Amino acid sequence: MKGVALVTGAGRGLGRIIATFLAGQGHDIVITARTSIEIHDVAQFLEGNDVRIVPIPGDITDPVHRTRLLQQTRAMGSLSLLVNNASDLGEIPRPELALASLERFRLTLETNLVAPIALIQESLPQLEQTRGLVVNISSDASQGGYERWGIYGSSKAALDLASKTLAAELKPRHIFVVSVDPGDMRTRMHQDAFLGEDISDRPLPEVTLPFWAWLVGQDPERITGMRYQAQGTLWEVPA
Amino acid sequence: MNRSELLFDRPTDLFASAPPEMRGHDRDDVRLMVSTPESDAHYSFTELPGLLKPGDLLVVNESATLPASLPAASRLANIRLNLSTRFADDLWLAEPRWSPSRPGPLPLKEHEILQIGDAKAVLLQQYPGIPRLWFARLDNPASRLMAKYGEPIHYSYAPAYPMSNYQTIFSRFPGSVEMPSAARPITTHVRHMLRSRGIGIVGIILHTGVSSLEIEDETVEHQTLYPEVFRVPEATAHAVNATHARGGRVIAVGTTVVRALETAWTPNGLRACSGATGLYIHPGSKVRAIDGLLTGLHDPVTSHLAMLSAIAGLERVKKAYSEAIRNRYLWHEFGDSHLLWRQDAN
Repeated sequence: MKGVALVTGAGRGLGRIIATFLAGQGHDIVITARTSIEIHDVAQFLEGNDVRIVPIPGDITDPVHRTRLLQQTRAMGSLSLLVNNASDLGEIPRPELALASLERFRLTLETNLVAPIALIQESLPQLEQTRGLVVNISSDASQGGYERWGIYGSSKAALDLASKTLAAELKPRHIFVVSVDPGDMRTRMHQDAFLGEDISDRPLPEVTLPFWAWLVGQDPERITGMRYQAQGTLWEVPA
Repeated sequence: MNRSELLFDRPTDLFASAPPEMRGHDRDDVRLMVSTPESDAHYSFTELPGLLKPGDLLVVNESATLPASLPAASRLANIRLNLSTRFADDLWLAEPRWSPSRPGPLPLKEHEILQIGDAKAVLLQQYPGIPRLWFARLDNPASRLMAKYGEPIHYSYAPAYPMSNYQTIFSRFPGSVEMPSAARPITTHVRHMLRSRGIGIVGIILHTGVSSLEIEDETVEHQTLYPEVFRVPEATAHAVNATHARGGRVIAVGTTVVRALETAWTPNGLRACSGATGLYIHPGSKVRAIDGLLTGLHDPVTSHLAMLSAIAGLERVKKAYSEAIRNRYLWHEFGDSHLLWRQDAN
């Protein structure tokens, strides 16, 4: 028994890979995504593992949905691993920041920044019991300043800072937080970001498996506050 | 670089199939070829201290070798499961093989169960880009399985010898599945001569995974390597920086040391660093932390050879290897030694 995990945005791409890895590791998992058919498909795909998989479709910006998710993790034991993976790319095609719809920008911030922090706030009692780990999925766009990546990039930059801040604030309560940039991958989101372009040179999200395998083997207390690149050449454990 | 450039012919009777001490010699009774930009010269290993200068520094790998090859019963046959890399107590990267001499990949499936004595391993997923390696979940601590069933990983050219043959005098921290063998000929006698001459010896830790992987990608630089756990201690970083500052030379004892040191290198010199490194040192890489590499002789088309080319350039490596073959040097972990100086080492 490895404890209960919650993975958001688990219907496809990276989230699906993380859920698959955790199921293989023996975690019971609550998985969520907005598209009902996809999240049920993932649950079915993971049936071969000897663990409980509970798919709950919905939008993490909805407080009622978040409550349902955390009631479910509570019912299965207590949350020990929260993976905030669900992300909104924003307007497609990606606009320049100076011309972007502010209305739409706020929606992206709701999904990428406010909802993950809300999930952390609401799961604190469970994470405290398990000395749990929170993994916030970031992006190189959070540091790049790339043209037309301002909406998504700034939401992820803010999430990075929130991760680091939460790591400092929650360490005394034995709750640990890391931020992970998975790197470029051949996913639906990446294709949406590069509409009409050939992205077949990007690796499939399976490329991040070694990182997840490494991460679950670490003492979370030693790595809390770190930002990792899953496809990077060094995963450092601070002294 | 195309993978064919790392190909060379070498007679198979140049594989060292037994440790020197099993062939009636001392451990340090092996040959040493020294390659500079000008020449490849031949010595005996015990001459090493005299070939270095006072103030030079050797960096050794202090990782000790585990009996990581486990017998496993599978749906297909009785096979070997060679543990490669520890990710967690119960999660290892592993290489299923038909036998020590016959590699995979085996036609195995996800969720397939291997029986190891009274324990089980579940194959989870293949390593991305290296289908021969699987993530495996063990229902028993690996340390127990290795103690009870394990033998040292070995390949077609050598049988399994007692574990003591796979440790060096620097082996202190168990974790490697294949011997970091470059320091093998350094006996207490050679160590004493080195110290007496004013040559420092400091350590890093890098736990090696299986070395059986050839470069399979057509483009050498595109090959996937898996990460290895390492640690460069503060004292070692300090010693390396001080040696560079004094104009001394830093010699990595083994390719594992190069990987660890280059990972921990910064524009301001070496820093203490721990974690997992996936650094691939290939002909396009710059090597900055070391001036020379003391190592064995490596197989064609391996990542080790790619690293040697980064240090000395492909032409020099090929010339040195022709020289080694002509002079009947012995290959592999029980074989002869090779000291390769960087292009601009003083």
